[in-house]
Amino acid sequence: MIVTGKPLPLRRANVDTDQIIPARYLTGIDTEGLGEHLFTGMAGGAELLAESPGANIVVAGENFGCGSSREHAAWALTARGFRAVIASSFARIFLENAYTNAIVPVVVPDAMIEGFARARSITIDVAKQTVQADDEAPVAFELDELRKQFILGGGFLPYLASKIDTVRAWQHAR
Amino acid sequence: MRSLFDKIWDAHVVEELPGGNALVFMDRVVAHEITTPQGAIAIEKEYGDCLYDRDRIVAVNDHVSPAKDTATAIQAQVLRTWAKRQGIRLYDIGEGGICHVIVPERGYVTPGSTVCCGDSHTCTLGAFGAFALGIGTTAQAGAMLAGCLILQRPKVMRVEVKGELHPSASAKDLALAVIAEIGFRGGTGYVLEYTGSAIDSLDMEQRMTLCNMAIEAGATTGIIAADGVTAAYLEKTQEAPSDWLFLRADRDARYAASVTIDGNAVRPLVTWGTNPGENAPIDGVVPVGAAAASLDYMDLRVGDKMSEIVLDQAFIGSCTNSRIGDLREAARVLRGKNVVIPTIITPGSQAVKRAAEREGLHEIFQDAGALWTHSSCGPCLGMSMGVLAPGMRCISSSNRNFQGRMGDGGRVHLASPAIVAASALLGRIASPADIGAPIREEALV
Ligand code: SF4
Repeated sequence: MIVTGKPLPLRRANVDTDQIIPARYLTGIDTEGLGEHLFTGMAGGAELLAESPGANIVVAGENFGCGSSREHAAWALTARGFRAVIASSFARIFLENAYTNAIVPVVVPDAMIEGFARARSITIDVAKQTVQADDEAPVAFELDELRKQFILGGGFLPYLASKIDTVRAWQHAR
Repeated sequence: MRSLFDKIWDAHVVEELPGGNALVFMDRVVAHEITTPQGAIAIEKEYGDCLYDRDRIVAVNDHVSPAKDTATAIQAQVLRTWAKRQGIRLYDIGEGGICHVIVPERGYVTPGSTVCCGDSHTCTLGAFGAFALGIGTTAQAGAMLAGCLILQRPKVMRVEVKGELHPSASAKDLALAVIAEIGFRGGTGYVLEYTGSAIDSLDMEQRMTLCNMAIEAGATTGIIAADGVTAAYLEKTQEAPSDWLFLRADRDARYAASVTIDGNAVRPLVTWGTNPGENAPIDGVVPVGAAAASLDYMDLRVGDKMSEIVLDQAFIGSCTNSRIGDLREAARVLRGKNVVIPTIITPGSQAVKRAAEREGLHEIFQDAGALWTHSSCGPCLGMSMGVLAPGMRCISSSNRNFQGRMGDGGRVHLASPAIVAASALLGRIASPADIGAPIREEALV
């Protein structure tokens, strides 16, 4: 699977989920309409989105997705066509939510963030785990070996469903 | 050799999975109206009536409760009808409250157990010596379907708090001090295992306040070993099972990291920035090196005196500080005085509300001119019951001062209930000492 596209150059650290999508928009029972409110909780967020038409890869600093557990953050990103986030680190719950929603979480050193933020085009090879800014040399990144399968099409809930008998047997023997 | 967390983890691993993941059994799943519907409906559609074990699930309408408009009414109604269809115990308006307050109150968390909820502050329940963590909607649905989460084993950081907590400081101040010490993201990848004499002497409510904010350092959760204090709390909780174990870390337990905090050195803290780690002593100033973006959003400058920051609103409540002890603290400060800014006091559960009213605390609050509400998450998340206008500045006993958290453009200063109460009386950030209130309850008698 190859993800190609343009960066949304957020650059900043600690982009919390209230900035990605404020709580006041979490009033649905489905994932409809969340995209409209993406980054409206971030100072200058909506403007940055407007200035970056066609962007589909977020580029941010450390601790992306910290704060609330709301999966709405991942849903709002996918609703606007975002397929990957390049950051120097992720908060745990967002990272888990990214995998279950097939958003590729790409961790690169902080020093490389600016390069991706300025790139005209970014190419991510999910299977090979490489990320490339324009014609620069591809950079390797880590992915969780199991959860990578959820991005490549395995599906998180079907995987868990396949474990139910194992869990029942374990619980029985507990 | 094992930490407390290691023991609980090891006892709940069903299967090791590729990539360092494990299938971890969940003894309890808590479901609230904001993050549950999408997942619950998805698994119902796809897998039918096949919850792993409905008796392990407890549902709560708490975030916007009662509903504020049609959309939130639909959320609550979806949770209600789903719980009914699936035979799940639901705590609705009237008997409920904030999920992290009622889960322990009703005995749904016991030492040595595992709990998850689609809510990051589930870490509150680590106060009971349980592994309790927040997860996303899909992971929560998976836990309801298969009884398990897929998790990377977190590392364990020992946070030892020595001595005793200084008389002027509360569990909230300690929570803020821990975040300042390890950093706003310093706990990422870790479980914080709190130990030490200052922790031993905290009551259960204070332990919950401390564990509640583990997520604010990025940690997977916080945990405190159960002891006599825990047992005494659980005994009073009718529904709590009594067959739990006193698990403790081994004497020679190994930790991936350790920090030590001197409890006697902890002083009242208030946040000045836009994450909970950006805090300063109440008698201090906005520090040199403060992040420009935070200062800009908060409209503050380096060197500004914390005690000169003028406020527009005060809020006492949230899963951090809305229990009876917190309300007593607030009442002690507010008794016989008048607030000068709009002040909202929201108990964490209807049971807390009733306990407070039996003690007459509601009279003290209302005599002081504060609004005494029913239980709910309320203003904490900026959805209802006291949303801030852009530029409004609120002092709050909650846990998040993120940009826009309590309303678009609203500014939040986090502090303990006593500081919030004192600030409500003076209209600026103030300590109970500023209004001549004794610093501790004991001092009253
Ligand atoms: S009180 Fe606030 S932090 Fe706690 S669960 Fe409710 S919204 Fe979340």
